Amino acid sequence: MYRKQVRRRRAVLTLLIIGSFLLLTLTYGQSSGGLQSGVSSVFSPLQTVADRALKPARDAISWFDETFEARGENSRLRDELARERTQAVAGKEALQENAQLRELLGLDQGPALAGSPYDPVTARVIARSPTVWSSKLTIDAGAGDGIEVNDPVISGDGLVGLVSSKQGGSAQVTLITDHTSAVSAKVLPGGVQGVIRPDIGDPEDLILDFIDSTRDVHSGQAVVTSGWRVEDFASLFPAGLPVGEVTRASVVEQEASQQVHLRPYADIANLDLVQVLTGGTRG
Amino acid sequence: MIVTPQIFIRLAAIGIVAVLLQLGFFSRVELLHTSADILPVVVVSLGLLGGAMTGAVAGFSIGLLVDCLLVLPLGRASLVLLGVGYLAGLFRERFDIHSALVPPLICMALTLLGQLGYAAVQVMLGVDAPVSVLVVRDMVLKSVFAFFLAWPIYFGLRRVLRPALVDEPKVTRRRQPTVLGA
Repeated sequence: MYRKQVRRRRAVLTLLIIGSFLLLTLTYGQSSGGLQSGVSSVFSPLQTVADRALKPARDAISWFDETFEARGENSRLRDELARERTQAVAGKEALQENAQLRELLGLDQGPALAGSPYDPVTARVIARSPTVWSSKLTIDAGAGDGIEVNDPVISGDGLVGLVSSKQGGSAQVTLITDHTSAVSAKVLPGGVQGVIRPDIGDPEDLILDFIDSTRDVHSGQAVVTSGWRVEDFASLFPAGLPVGEVTRASVVEQEASQQVHLRPYADIANLDLVQVLTGGTRG
Repeated sequence: MIVTPQIFIRLAAIGIVAVLLQLGFFSRVELLHTSADILPVVVVSLGLLGGAMTGAVAGFSIGLLVDCLLVLPLGRASLVLLGVGYLAGLFRERFDIHSALVPPLICMALTLLGQLGYAAVQVMLGVDAPVSVLVVRDMVLKSVFAFFLAWPIYFGLRRVLRPALVDEPKVTRRRQPTVLGA
């Protein structure tokens, strides 16, 4: 009797392990399958309700965490404010000059999105992946709201990621901190171009790679999406979306490139509302 | 564990509620830059209460639901959680749980093992970006959070599943002796 039980248990375990490997083999690298879309569609109303119900508790815990960190952040922000004040004066001059140039050229588009063909759809984050090995969000807007796969996603502060799959009333967003993410970007001023990759496990650090070691990049410089276009190929992100600020640059030994570290403007760890830029042309 | 239809419904409800809580609450709340992961804790608790089979099946199902909801490659979370649940169940079958401290400690150890499992599966599938040392901090903190979360989760689940537990003493209300003529 006991042996029979052990045999049955081993058989079930083997079956489950084989099933897991089979599922991994069949679905790895594929876009969302029918099963996933179906389950996600069924559960998205439940997730929305859970999100609303749990928001006060989330906010309470976040308040404690933020208060704990606020003391250290205070002095950093003071330094940052002093630096920003200097930059703001220079920025005002640049904006004035920019407006004059736009009038001259007859352009009506702003630096990033104003007047662009994009139609922003605001969505609420309803779920987030639990491990550092995949940085994905589920939002409560989907194909029914005009969202398409590869639409860029932003928050009030900057670039967040892009839509990786969609269902009728929900969609999944792959964040710029996910290991599969790569964003072509440039450093301002100067226009040095590179590719932004995540540093897995540290959502407050991104790496701008493939930058010529002879180019001067220093902390405090802004990084925006470069939005390139070559014939039929184009970047998935429009040009000029703010991504982050350079924190440090280091030359890679025995290579002719340097790694530039940046802190994303968007608070990737605490996203509640995001905007999906639908309907635009890339690049 | 004696799995009757009612207990099966309870187990399914536990799995769904745990996944919804994880994705909608725990994954989005950060303490010390790390979010807690209750799924290994729930799976380990079910394994400790129900045995290796219950742990493995619960782990597989909960993992599958997570991967479906986040549209991740299917099977990754299932593989890790089924291993964690099976090991918890094996522990329960081989040793007696004498102290109330044992379940939280097992949850902590197996959560750490689960985190290492996720890392191993990801390395097996390929990592396309540099990995920060902070991943280690994330793993350790998740295990510490698991220790504290295991208290309410394990004892709460034991209460919910009490009718199905084989070695759980029945709770009977002692009748007060009647004193005749009082």
